[in-house]
Amino acid sequence: MNENLFASFATPTMMGLPIVILIIMFPSILFPSSNRLINNRLISIQQWLVQLTSKQMMAIHNNKGQTWTLMLMSLILFIGSTNLLGLLPHSFTPTTQLSMNLGMAIPLWAGTVFMGFRHKTKAALAHFLPQGTPIFLIPMLVIIETISLFIQPMALAVRLTANITAGHLLIHLIGGATLALMDISPSTALITFIILILLTILEFAVAMIQAYVFTLLVSLYLHDNT
Amino acid sequence: MLQSLIKNVWVPMKPYYTQVYQEIWAGMGLMGFIVYKIRSADKRSKALKGKIFASDGWGRKTPSYLFRTRRIPVLN
Repeated sequence: MNENLFASFATPTMMGLPIVILIIMFPSILFPSSNRLINNRLISIQQWLVQLTSKQMMAIHNNKGQTWTLMLMSLILFIGSTNLLGLLPHSFTPTTQLSMNLGMAIPLWAGTVFMGFRHKTKAALAHFLPQGTPIFLIPMLVIIETISLFIQPMALAVRLTANITAGHLLIHLIGGATLALMDISPSTALITFIILILLTILEFAVAMIQAYVFTLLVSLYLHDNT
Repeated sequence: MLQSLIKNVWVPMKPYYTQVYQEIWAGMGLMGFIVYKIRSADKRSKALKGKIFASDGWGRKTPSYLFRTRRIPVLN
């Protein structure tokens, strides 16, 4: 059972060839692009959702920050669709891999930091010391703020990995428990099955919330630096 | 195929790739450097472990103090 529990997180291969690149590229098929003024229902709904999200998320930014709209909208669509597709049985979720999430978090976080140091150097350096700090606390607080800055990409990546992985593991465990209890005590199996349904609804919400949180935090780091 | 790639991807995205995402390219370079450092450290530690646990063909383990020293061959 231990082998089965973590087998779904192993890099997927088909006849010995890794197909993880195809799996990562797959969600893009679900978002067709169109040059028409009036589109079909699927594209209209997707465009409406993207407009709603982008207006809500990019309203706080100035002109410089709003140049990142395309990047942030692509990010939230990719993470959201990948997480939701991962809830299908026997599917592989790329966002359960820490390497993938670090690969998304580090360049985006570093991009915001470099942008801050390049265009607003004094303001970027001022972030290392909050206003109104007593003089004797300054050295310690600068160290703490530096550590908290460098932890930001790690926190971004680990938060997403841990949430999605933990959800998938829980579904595996409770599903296995339900199956095992069916022969022993059907009434307990029914209660466990209801818990499984509630957990699956929770995982749908977590999938979308984690995508939103990741993108919102990157947007906040961008707002601090532009 | 290259022409359609240039027409459909590079031409619309050129201002993004060349101006807007400059810092992100720098961030990707930083990430590549981190990945390189981690991979090379992993390779080095695996090679060192392999050397320490290597045997000398007669089933005896070579003592670790014999590595990293120059052994002068003795001619009999």
